[in-house]
Amino acid sequence: MQPLVHFKNVNKYYGKSLAVNNLDLQIERGKFVTLLGPSGCGKSTSLRMLGGFETPSSGTITLDGKDVTHLPPHRRNVNIVFQDYALFPHLTVGRNIAFGLELKGMPSEKIHARVMELLELVELQDYADRMPDQLSGGQRQRVALMRALAPDPDVLLLDEPLSALDAKLRHQMQIELKSIQEKTGKTFLFVTHDQEEALTMSDLIVVMNKGRVEQMGDPHALYARPVNRFVATFIGESNFLDAVVRSVDGNIATLDWCGHIIHATLTGPAAKVGSHVTVALRPEAIYAVSGQPDRKIALPGKVTNRLFKGNFTALTVGLHEGQSLVAQLDPVALAHLEGDDVWIGWREEDAVVLAD
Amino acid sequence: MTKDVLAGSGQGVKKGRTRYAGWIGTLARSPLYRGTIGLLAESRVARLAALLAVPLAWIAFFNIGPILQMANISLLANYPLMDGDEPVYTLSQYALFFQESLYFMPFLRSVVFSVAVTAATLIVVYPVAYYIGKVIRPASRNRALLLLLTPFWAGEIIRVFSVIMLLANRGAVNALLREFGIIDRPIPMLYTYFSLSFGVVYLIALYMLLPLYSSIEKIPNSLLDAASDLGAGPLQRFRRVILPLSRDGIVSGCSLVFLTTIGVFAAPLLLGGPNTVIFPEIIAQLFHGSNDKWPAGAAFSIIMLLISLTTVGLFVRVVGGRNVKLM
Amino acid sequence: MRLYMKNPQNVFLTGFYWAFVAYLFVPLMLMTAMSFKDSNFISFPIDSFTMKWYVQVVQDEQFLSAVGYSLMIAFIVTVVATAIGVWIALLASNEAIWGKALIFALACLPAVVPGMIQAISMRIFIRAIDVPTGTFAIILGHTVHAVPFVVIMAMTRLRSMPSNLVDAARDLGADNFIAFFRVTLPYLGPALVGGMIFCALTSIDDFVRTFFLGGYQTTLPMLIFAKISGGMSPEINAMATLVLIATGAIGLYAERRVRRSRN
Repeated sequence: MQPLVHFKNVNKYYGKSLAVNNLDLQIERGKFVTLLGPSGCGKSTSLRMLGGFETPSSGTITLDGKDVTHLPPHRRNVNIVFQDYALFPHLTVGRNIAFGLELKGMPSEKIHARVMELLELVELQDYADRMPDQLSGGQRQRVALMRALAPDPDVLLLDEPLSALDAKLRHQMQIELKSIQEKTGKTFLFVTHDQEEALTMSDLIVVMNKGRVEQMGDPHALYARPVNRFVATFIGESNFLDAVVRSVDGNIATLDWCGHIIHATLTGPAAKVGSHVTVALRPEAIYAVSGQPDRKIALPGKVTNRLFKGNFTALTVGLHEGQSLVAQLDPVALAHLEGDDVWIGWREEDAVVLAD
Repeated sequence: MTKDVLAGSGQGVKKGRTRYAGWIGTLARSPLYRGTIGLLAESRVARLAALLAVPLAWIAFFNIGPILQMANISLLANYPLMDGDEPVYTLSQYALFFQESLYFMPFLRSVVFSVAVTAATLIVVYPVAYYIGKVIRPASRNRALLLLLTPFWAGEIIRVFSVIMLLANRGAVNALLREFGIIDRPIPMLYTYFSLSFGVVYLIALYMLLPLYSSIEKIPNSLLDAASDLGAGPLQRFRRVILPLSRDGIVSGCSLVFLTTIGVFAAPLLLGGPNTVIFPEIIAQLFHGSNDKWPAGAAFSIIMLLISLTTVGLFVRVVGGRNVKLM
Repeated sequence: MRLYMKNPQNVFLTGFYWAFVAYLFVPLMLMTAMSFKDSNFISFPIDSFTMKWYVQVVQDEQFLSAVGYSLMIAFIVTVVATAIGVWIALLASNEAIWGKALIFALACLPAVVPGMIQAISMRIFIRAIDVPTGTFAIILGHTVHAVPFVVIMAMTRLRSMPSNLVDAARDLGADNFIAFFRVTLPYLGPALVGGMIFCALTSIDDFVRTFFLGGYQTTLPMLIFAKISGGMSPEINAMATLVLIATGAIGLYAERRVRRSRN
């Protein structure tokens, strides 16, 4: 099936610096897609290119099969929710939402019906005659969202819309955004630097760094199978183990890590035997027990640090070879104190061999 | 915003309902719009041209044009030009200015007078600006300022006239002094440098007040508290904290007052006398009657413009200030 | 706070402020008082009072026609200066325009050229373009003078406008022109109304430009000037008082409006 949005080999230069490097991205209809990355990674530029506010230096962007690369913003059927909402301060909530509809030449009665329908969707039907500065941050956010949805765009673009909200409201809005997306069946392209937002809401996450796409995938795949060090650190936390490949059997590699034989899963191209690789290991994938367990991977160590974090306890375990790993453990099973001898290990499918 | 309230028709009260302007979209989609403004809007070049055309033409034609034409005429030896005359250029009008003390002395008087008035205005207005900006409660600042601004909206002629009420021989001051038996005969105050400067300060104090106030008001109170805390007395606090930090305001205010004073025209006409003839009056005389004195008048105007702008430029350069605004 | 405490300096400053208020108001009050004097001569003290000068003024054909003429000029000046001033402000606050600082400086030139010289240069200029002295010349002179003030007011307001408001309008389907009329102009609105009133008042109050550019018909300040230069009677005071009250009230209103729109 033809994708709704297609960035084909899109490059964007600002002077000599490359803001977006050969972006090739297809977005399917009805999906919640997130561009995730640190500031300056090119995610907002990509969004603005689809919105029509920036023109690619090369490459093409198609929307619903039509080339929109050089169309001005008012000629494309996409709408943006801006980071600071950009609500028109001189217009009421109702007129803000009606703005795009008025420009479509819709009759007043139909506009009114559509505005009320949208306001009801976010339970703001009593606010149509308020001015934007009489609303709370969360309410403004909802109005901005409805204003962008009102003209029935092919794609709704959201440029870090939650970053101005406090933490509690942000969580609430994540759930609300996702439910609105599901209710309306619209395609959302969401830009954020917050991994939690991305993991909570997205069908597809595109991790970007320095203008390039590092990895694409659904949230679970990205978390469980990062392909490189950047993705492994940007999404969640990881232990990194420098190891040498001993043998490869299917997608399981046997590795030598400081004299220990460990196993890890290959996600990328097959690693050569004898080569140096990095293995990523999530802290919560590590277990720790007092006596030597009967498991495939079991390494002896000593607890060097213990931090109580509420819903988990972070244990730093020094191995006898001078290496140390961080494990996140259930606070209930909290028997290990600093200085205790422990055995640690993990399931081989939880360790991932990275591409770099 | 137009709202039409639908009257209740047995279904309870209906709410105010906004009338949305769908006509805008209809207009924007109409062939008429798309063929005219729409075309302009679609083209970057056309948009840029529309943005540039009127402003640049206006500035070139009406802001720069008159001054260039004035400079042009100041150099003409044969003015007014008759049909077929070739313009002959000369610097003699400029030479005349420096040779003839009849012109040169009033000019000098004008400059000295403007400098003196500027200094006097600064001294009079500074405490007022400081009082509004730092002494009274922030909530009453606007009111205190507005009280002072109100008289300035009366035109300059009316204000000059009101100064006559005060200072004339049969004016309020002399009447009062006579009432108390201090004087027998009125003190002649009008048509002197005193009445002239009194009136000019009265006209221009606002141009000093506003920049001074806005720069003084911006000085954080914490700085003043810090200075006191570090042992600075009121005088030191003023000299070492307030004065340097209000420099931008002083420079802007003085520049504006100087430029206004040197071009003041109505006040000397009504408040000055034969002893106080300053340069604008001299120039004005050259424009009365026939046209043949225009080159001299234009030349003198150019000299005055150059010297006053250079003076202000030098002043701003020397006294400095990072953020000097002339508005 | 220590700063607001009553101490000797502050007592002095308070006194100074009120003395300054007196300096500004006493002459105008004297002028107003004189307008009620029941005598043909302007002189203090005032022994008896009358309203007859006001009755005379409001029936004075010359005065009424001068008011009408001044208002007509002020209206045209305001409309033209606002349109051109906003246009220049848009240009000078556009990020993409090269040399916008220079454009701004040149646009403000008439505000820093001493009034007398500006009037003279306009007098010379209208002759060069074959415009006679009179209504059109006055309007031109006043407009040239008023434009910089509109530019500055509009630019101050534009600077506080979030840049993505226009982006949002374009995103929702407005081309640049519609975005300007639907978003930028309404946003400028409050500041602009204040600026327009200032334009009108400076035009009504202007003396020096009208003096050099005017024809036979007199504006309000010219009429008062002529009456002061000629024989004086308290009728001038009544006339001036009426003008003072009207312009003062309107100016105060505009000033408050502009200050509020900046907050």
